[in-house]
Amino acid sequence: MAAIGIQIRHLSVRYASRPALCDISLDIPPNQIFGIIGPANSGKTTLLKCVNRTIDFIDTARVEGQVLVGGQDVRQVASVYELRRRIGMVFPLPVGLPLSVYENVAYGPRMAGLRHRGELDALVEKCLRQAALWDEVKDRLNLLGTKLSGGQQQRLTLARALSLRPDILCLDEFSIAIDPVTTMKIEEVLLELRAEMTIVLVTNLVQQARRLAQKTAFLNDSRLVEVGETKQMFTKPAQQLTYDYVTGNIG
Amino acid sequence: MASSRAAHFRYFVAPQGQGTAGDGTPDRPLGSVQEALRGIAERHGGEKPSVKRLQGHDRVDICSIARSRGGRSQCKRPRYAFYVDPLGAGDVRGAGTALSPWPDLESALSGVAQLDRQGELRLAPGEHLSLTVREVFSVTPVDRQRRRHERIAQGVFFLMTMALVVPLFLILGHLIVKAWPVLSVSFIFENPRNSMTAGGIWAPLVGTFYLVFISLLAAAPIGILAGVYLNEYAGDNWFTRIVNLAVVNLAGVPSIVHALFGVMAFVTFAGMGESVLAASCTLAIMTLPVIVSSTKEALASVPMTFREACWNMGASRWQTIRTIVLPNSISGILTGVILQVSRAAGETAPILFTGAALFMNVPNKGLRYFFPYSLNDSCMALSYHLHVMLTQVKGATAEQIAAGDGIPLEQLQYGTAVVLIALVLLVNSASIGLRVYLRSRKKW
Repeated sequence: MAAIGIQIRHLSVRYASRPALCDISLDIPPNQIFGIIGPANSGKTTLLKCVNRTIDFIDTARVEGQVLVGGQDVRQVASVYELRRRIGMVFPLPVGLPLSVYENVAYGPRMAGLRHRGELDALVEKCLRQAALWDEVKDRLNLLGTKLSGGQQQRLTLARALSLRPDILCLDEFSIAIDPVTTMKIEEVLLELRAEMTIVLVTNLVQQARRLAQKTAFLNDSRLVEVGETKQMFTKPAQQLTYDYVTGNIG
Repeated sequence: MASSRAAHFRYFVAPQGQGTAGDGTPDRPLGSVQEALRGIAERHGGEKPSVKRLQGHDRVDICSIARSRGGRSQCKRPRYAFYVDPLGAGDVRGAGTALSPWPDLESALSGVAQLDRQGELRLAPGEHLSLTVREVFSVTPVDRQRRRHERIAQGVFFLMTMALVVPLFLILGHLIVKAWPVLSVSFIFENPRNSMTAGGIWAPLVGTFYLVFISLLAAAPIGILAGVYLNEYAGDNWFTRIVNLAVVNLAGVPSIVHALFGVMAFVTFAGMGESVLAASCTLAIMTLPVIVSSTKEALASVPMTFREACWNMGASRWQTIRTIVLPNSISGILTGVILQVSRAAGETAPILFTGAALFMNVPNKGLRYFFPYSLNDSCMALSYHLHVMLTQVKGATAEQIAAGDGIPLEQLQYGTAVVLIALVLLVNSASIGLRVYLRSRKKW
């Protein structure tokens, strides 16, 4: 499966009268881990919602500009559901659906029409392993997903995102509820997954972006401050603001 | 606990320092507060207190003596209350209040002395200041007040609950006692006869089932599906706002107004005549808005994050509703519907002019015994039957009762009421049972 990139062209989003993104232009190349850093309320999550068009579910949001996924404008794709299946999403707060662990992971494929039990079993196991959760839940796949601990639920969310074998995986501060050791395990998996998919990594942990991302973008106050090679962003960024943020001197 | 009984010492000072050097009794007061404090330090503090080391709950008062025979006696409450707490945070600069007590007697005495020097202490004749040693973790005055409020609040709430429950049980008890002689299986399964002076209430009971079932058949699907639309699909625009407002207001329309609407719309305009169908439709119109709003409420209690997670997986709105939202809100939805069953069963006004019959001569055996009414006929109903029994029926004569072919009117009335209430209670408890069962299977 060839990964596809994302191009964002002059994207602006307003929630009612409050601007959330102002004129963002970004190129996210395929088969890379692309880091997005920035303080709270800087528009990172909104950016991801524009990519898989879940922004449509927010009544007050007004979107201008273009988001191209694999060269296609997301607002003109024939099937928005197919678009979302191609883009795995993990949001910061873990959400175990009120279904069994197995059904949580099998949910996406089932909704996409996969019925074959053996295929589902293999897929569920593979995804749970990739999310570093398999060993903890393999004996209780019938347990309710909501009964898992917070960190486990977050990894369950990750497994669910991987279950559709997406071309693009968007991670929004995925490691907030996970301990450092498990985080490292998942980070290794991400580095492997890079061969199959494009990964957009939104993170509050600046060092995580530094460890994983090839390119990093810095958002602040709804605007794109700077984007560049991660190494350069962390050593000699063009903007003073970026330097202050990555070195922890802001404020 | 330390000493069993707390000691209470009083030292008297003369107001405005007029006294001579005394020993602190009311007759020979000390000259000033400062002097009293020195005395306390000597008697109760230091290495070897000459009277008693102050311990848990001991208290020392410095009283300004009341003017002799001036009509004023010693006040009960201290003008200033200070506290010493051995577990106090050690903050010597603490104000000595209940919340920030002084850690030991020495700092307390010097604290009071300093306040006195600064002129902060003004003891009018008859007033006193108290210095209380607290037991470790003892109850502060604030705690005591809080407990008092707690008890009052609890008592008031309990009384209100009783005011609610007692009348309910009185009514139920009264009804059952009055109806007891007539309550039997045959009362329920026999049709009324002899101009409703004898027999049972089978015909009206079946009529109520007819009305409730048919009205629900109409109202439940419309109400539930409309509720799903309003909560899951409709955006926030002027149309949905008007619909929501209409739903809320319709739920508050008096049932007699629904009856009027039913007469106009179903009996006359739709040409149904006074019939089971017209009455059921009127009841359906009455129950609809409540079903809609309880459905909406049940759906809204499913967290938004579940829906978002599904959408992110590429599930459509309908897939999300079918797999996640409905299974987790069905208990609330069904509870709302079932509660409307009992409401429809109990209402008289909406069926009064739309399909309720004073009396119907219905078959006593065969299939027609169980299904006595056709949809185009009017029917008897429990609520209206009760109304009829109370206002229209003469009742059996003494001879009829003596001949075993009549039941005293009062018993018939109370019997009907008890069956009606039992029906409503049965439906309500079924709804509660269902809710408990479904909630025990709730997934988060």
